[in-house]
Amino acid sequence: MAAHLSYGRVNLNVLREAVRRELREFLDKCAGSKAIVWDEYLTGPFGLIAQYSLLKEHEVEKMFTLKASRLPAADVKNIIFFVRPRLELMDIIAENVLSEDRRGPARDFHILFVPRRSLLCEQRLKDLGVLGSFIHREEYSLDLIPFDGDLLSMESEGAFKQVANMMIRMKREFTGSQNSVFPVFDNLLLLDRNVDLLTPLATQLTYEGLIDEIYGIQNSYVKLPPEKFAPKKQGDGGKDLPTEAKKLQLNSAEELYAEIRDKNFNAVGSVLSKKAKVISAAFEERHNAKTVGEIKQFVSQLPHMQAARGSLANHTSIAELIKDVTTSEDFFDKLTVEQEFMSGIDTDKVNGYIEDCIAQKHSLIKVLRLVCLQSVCNSGLKQKVLDYYKREILQTYGYEHILTLHNLEKAGLLKPQIGGRNNYPTIRKTLRLWMDDVNEQNPTDISYVYSGYAPLSVRLAQLLARPGWRSIEEVLRILPGPHFEERQPLPTGLQKKRQPGENRVTLIFFLGGVTFAEVAALRFLSQLEDGEIRASFSQ
Amino acid sequence: MDCYTANWNPLGDSAFYRKYELYSMDWDLKEELRDCLVAAAPYGGPIALLRNPWRKEKPASVRPVLDIYSASGMPLASLPWKSGPVVSLGWSAEEELLCVQEDGVVLVYGLHGDFRRHFSMGNEVLQNRVLDARIFHTEFGSGVAILTGAHRFTLSANVGDLKLRRMPEVPGLQSAPSCWTTLCQDRVAHVLLAVGPDLYLLDHAACSTVTPPGLAPGVSSFLQMAVSFTYRHLALFTDTGYIWMGTASLKEKLCEFNCNIRAPPKQMVWCSRPRSKEKAVVVAWEKRLMVVGDAPESIQFVLDEDSYLVPELDGVRIFSRSTHEFLHEVPVASEEIFKIASMAPGALLLEAQKEYEKESQKADEYLREIQELGQLTQAVQQCIEAAGHEHRPDMQKSLLRAASFGKCFLDRFPPDGFVRMCQDLRVLNAIRDYHIGIPLTYSQYKQLTIQVLLDRLVLRRLYPLAIQICEYLRLPEVQGVSRILAHWACYKVQQKDVSDEDVARAINQKLGDTPGVSYSDIAARAYGCGRTELAIKLLEYEPRSGEQVPLLLKMKRSKLALSKAIESGDTDLVFTVLLHLKNELNRGDFFMTLRNQPMALSLYRQFCKHQELETLKDLYNQDDNHQELGSFHIRASYAAEERIEGRVAALQTAADAFYKAKNEFAAKATEDQMRLLRLQRRLEDELGGQFLDLSLHDTVTTLILGGHNKRAEQLARDFRIPDKRLWWLKLTALAALEDWEELEKFSKSKKSPIGYLPFVEICMKQHNKYEAKKYASRVGPEQKVKALLLVGDVAQAADVAIERRNEAELSLVLSHCTGATDGVTADKIQRARAQAQKK
Repeated sequence: MAAHLSYGRVNLNVLREAVRRELREFLDKCAGSKAIVWDEYLTGPFGLIAQYSLLKEHEVEKMFTLKASRLPAADVKNIIFFVRPRLELMDIIAENVLSEDRRGPARDFHILFVPRRSLLCEQRLKDLGVLGSFIHREEYSLDLIPFDGDLLSMESEGAFKQVANMMIRMKREFTGSQNSVFPVFDNLLLLDRNVDLLTPLATQLTYEGLIDEIYGIQNSYVKLPPEKFAPKKQGDGGKDLPTEAKKLQLNSAEELYAEIRDKNFNAVGSVLSKKAKVISAAFEERHNAKTVGEIKQFVSQLPHMQAARGSLANHTSIAELIKDVTTSEDFFDKLTVEQEFMSGIDTDKVNGYIEDCIAQKHSLIKVLRLVCLQSVCNSGLKQKVLDYYKREILQTYGYEHILTLHNLEKAGLLKPQIGGRNNYPTIRKTLRLWMDDVNEQNPTDISYVYSGYAPLSVRLAQLLARPGWRSIEEVLRILPGPHFEERQPLPTGLQKKRQPGENRVTLIFFLGGVTFAEVAALRFLSQLEDGEIRASFSQ
Repeated sequence: MDCYTANWNPLGDSAFYRKYELYSMDWDLKEELRDCLVAAAPYGGPIALLRNPWRKEKPASVRPVLDIYSASGMPLASLPWKSGPVVSLGWSAEEELLCVQEDGVVLVYGLHGDFRRHFSMGNEVLQNRVLDARIFHTEFGSGVAILTGAHRFTLSANVGDLKLRRMPEVPGLQSAPSCWTTLCQDRVAHVLLAVGPDLYLLDHAACSTVTPPGLAPGVSSFLQMAVSFTYRHLALFTDTGYIWMGTASLKEKLCEFNCNIRAPPKQMVWCSRPRSKEKAVVVAWEKRLMVVGDAPESIQFVLDEDSYLVPELDGVRIFSRSTHEFLHEVPVASEEIFKIASMAPGALLLEAQKEYEKESQKADEYLREIQELGQLTQAVQQCIEAAGHEHRPDMQKSLLRAASFGKCFLDRFPPDGFVRMCQDLRVLNAIRDYHIGIPLTYSQYKQLTIQVLLDRLVLRRLYPLAIQICEYLRLPEVQGVSRILAHWACYKVQQKDVSDEDVARAINQKLGDTPGVSYSDIAARAYGCGRTELAIKLLEYEPRSGEQVPLLLKMKRSKLALSKAIESGDTDLVFTVLLHLKNELNRGDFFMTLRNQPMALSLYRQFCKHQELETLKDLYNQDDNHQELGSFHIRASYAAEERIEGRVAALQTAADAFYKAKNEFAAKATEDQMRLLRLQRRLEDELGGQFLDLSLHDTVTTLILGGHNKRAEQLARDFRIPDKRLWWLKLTALAALEDWEELEKFSKSKKSPIGYLPFVEICMKQHNKYEAKKYASRVGPEQKVKALLLVGDVAQAADVAIERRNEAELSLVLSHCTGATDGVTADKIQRARAQAQKK
């Protein structure tokens, strides 16, 4: 069912099974029929590890969304709240529970904190006088959600900084209580998003990246406008077009998607048309099938071929949708400006395109992304330029965005240039962030994911693997934040000789989120370097 | 060796009983045992003695002394008894001494005479006094049963979880029962008592009369009764000198014995073992000990001294002032091997090995004999098993040697059993040592388990031995060494005469970073002993901050707890401490504490943002963080305030804050917003419609859309909207209005700062090709091709492109040549291209 997780060298399916088992164990603790009240935010991540059928097997009969006031009526013995440890959610739960008591038969309440139990929340429940109402209060450590064969997500907002120190502490704290396990990862690279603010600002140009840019991928699902997916068969012509958004799951379990997801969008079309030819050729085979044996063989391949055809149809539609956007003049103009900034052209003055965008009230996100991009590519904007942009934005989009701008400044995305020095060109040149000769069809460098710009984060990972960071110490000094390396000696007995042909597995942990294009670049790197790289991120 | 079976006494045809010495007691008793209350714990447990002056007619002038000894007579504790008269002593399963006082209060002491706690057996007991009491063991723990002066029974089946149960009354009971005992059937404790010729069974609901089946007639009274270790069997001693033995359910009789002694025995206990051949009872009188079973003859021993019997799982311990002995039925394996003229395989193997050592060829004969019968495996196993039941190490060794010898002649004999027996015996010999004094038999040891044995060693503070055993048996650290070290540390913190520094250092030196040791548990113990400073020192060694914090809070070291919580990086923990601090300190102190902890401060700010906005403001105020204060008021002007005056006032506060923060830009912008708000209010009053909360840009647009061009111009000037944007704005608005005339006028008002391409675009967007064409001609040369293509004039676009000799533009035009009429144009472009190439 989750075969796509077991492809990589480190079998992440184990992780998925472990979290599923934990969930089942918890459900079985509450004997009898149950209703789950969901913190809406959690339904997405949970969808990745357990379908409704699994819940149903464990007597989950109803599901509600956590809302203020009363719980909907349901004839069940247990009510289980699946929530994040948030105080505001505790207030809602308390309200639910208190309004419950006055009616009908008593029901058992349980609460499952995801991913951590929180003393604070329990204190709040206690203050509200309902803590005693809960029979089971447990935590469900859904920390790392396996997304794909080589991608884990923490799907959590606001992770802590200084994780590294903490990990060293944790190592000390947990020794002894944990069995020695043979490590599956050789290297761990922790990257704070602060080091590379540039990459997420630029428009991703891989297939998957563009789907995310345009439609947004959440918990590996994407919602698409339905028109393009209308059934094409003649018989269905009379029916109405579907009005609900088409929801598709995207992961490497789909063969075609695995092939094209990380390609530059410009290289996707040719793959799709090649695939189309292969599939129609395969279908044509049936005319050649003469003997019963041949026909039987053909029929046995049918389901697979039909699945392939379905998948091809879907992706052709998606590609068409994306193409509509990418061929528009505005997309082109925007990209031109981005690429100019990233290659260091005219980053120090007010940009006409941005001005025009503001004047035409294009989406604020787009404008801010561009302005921030310019700021990052110039190590901050000149005060005059910065103030001009800010004023334009405030006048056009409304004054309340002074808070938005302030937040961006706090995050370092938008800032005045200090000391009049622009470090970006040095970084760009040393790390070869801008590549003029990009081969989008058959890439030779990670820069293909942004059609020219090589994501800084991934470049750092690449250089760490070979030749090591000693060669770029100058640049590391310029990049924000300190950097350090820590070696963890393995207990003797766990050390083993590396088999020839077996490569190092590196776990890369992005603190503060990762883009799909970066993931694509990392996958590309791992092919290139013959080493396996896994990405993991917290949002 | 011939006399090895000299101390074997046959009972009936099948079973032998033997009695051997465990220790010669070294306790130098001053009193006779009969003058004392005696309690000895099973499983080789400690012995408690309390001189019982209350039994005598005249109270003694000296205070009674409670002495506790190990089974070998080593003194463990001695303390003067200061409480009330004691009726009965007994040991709980956890080796705690329970002393039942006359008033029904039970005092609980540790092995070392340390007072643990006390509890009362209830008011009824207090009023009627305690006549007699028994401590008994069930699978739930240890219970206390009490017979009160009113001849009623009260019991608690588990003193750890005290629930008192008053048993039903025995109808017409006038005097105390002649004897009584507690039974445990179906997990429920009962009381069996004898009054005259009648037996009564009390369960919690009722009192029923019971009759033992097959009891010889003529009984007018029961003098003694005994229940077996496992509660399965019952023995009754009658005044006719008969002993009735049967099941505890009184449904079945096993046998009967007439000992012809009518004097009441001092003690009667069962002597059996799991799977014993014979069920036997040991009866003790002043000078005589008798083992009786289903046999016409009994075994008799003479008691030289006043002795005391302790029933065990597989036998009876008998101690007196000078010796401590063990009486038991000889185990099967030993019997087979040592029985005179035994031909059992084990016996032959032992013999063979002895001959082998003598270098005699008889060894081979014996061995051959066993092998011919195919019993060598059995022989080895017998020797291993018998070794386990031997008390003397030399006998253990010789049996093990025989087993090891026999093993050589076997293929693939699994070594585990042998190895484990060697290990077990080493452990057993170590703890049986005189200094340790725990005379466990092999069966008892297996029943008790190594974990419990370790606990008991820890209880006796024999930490080094316990650790050695753990290491020897290679127990996992968490269950073994670490746990023992932790116990040791907990004991160490109670040593009040050692300074905090020394204790902490000693503990850390021993424990170091041993995995699985919880310093916080030790610290909690130290705190429990009132040594807060020591607890804090110990907590320093605790690596898990999550464990440090709750204890620190409990000890009211909130500030320290805060810094530990921060170190841990666990936000939840930090919040917990923060809220604790908030309640504990006054506001000023609380803020000051926060100030020194930036991490806590920022977390608290987050908390306030969601929960307590006002506090957030105070926090910013205290820090003179004017920038954030400004933002705070801005937010307030949108969220909290409804009235326009209020909003403007909030903005004014914000602007002031921004000035203080030296953020001129924000301050000016805020002032602009105030102006705009007031203005929007006026516009709404004067023109009607919705203006409030529109951005400046949208306000101007709305004005134009409403036809108020003058006001729009004015506003744009007042707020200095840049020309370019104003042009875009007007262009968009006028096109939306489809006011083409005004648009054209506007376009001619001066030279457009944004060029004329946007005009073309916007007209085309409104599908007005006619208007679009007007502007296309005015578009500058750079964008002319684009403009012409937009209005659909491909031919002219081609001309311009050719003239400009711009390759990119040429291809752009070419890509637009799709219509039937565009063929000519396409050709033209191709020709131009060809020409350009030639040059």
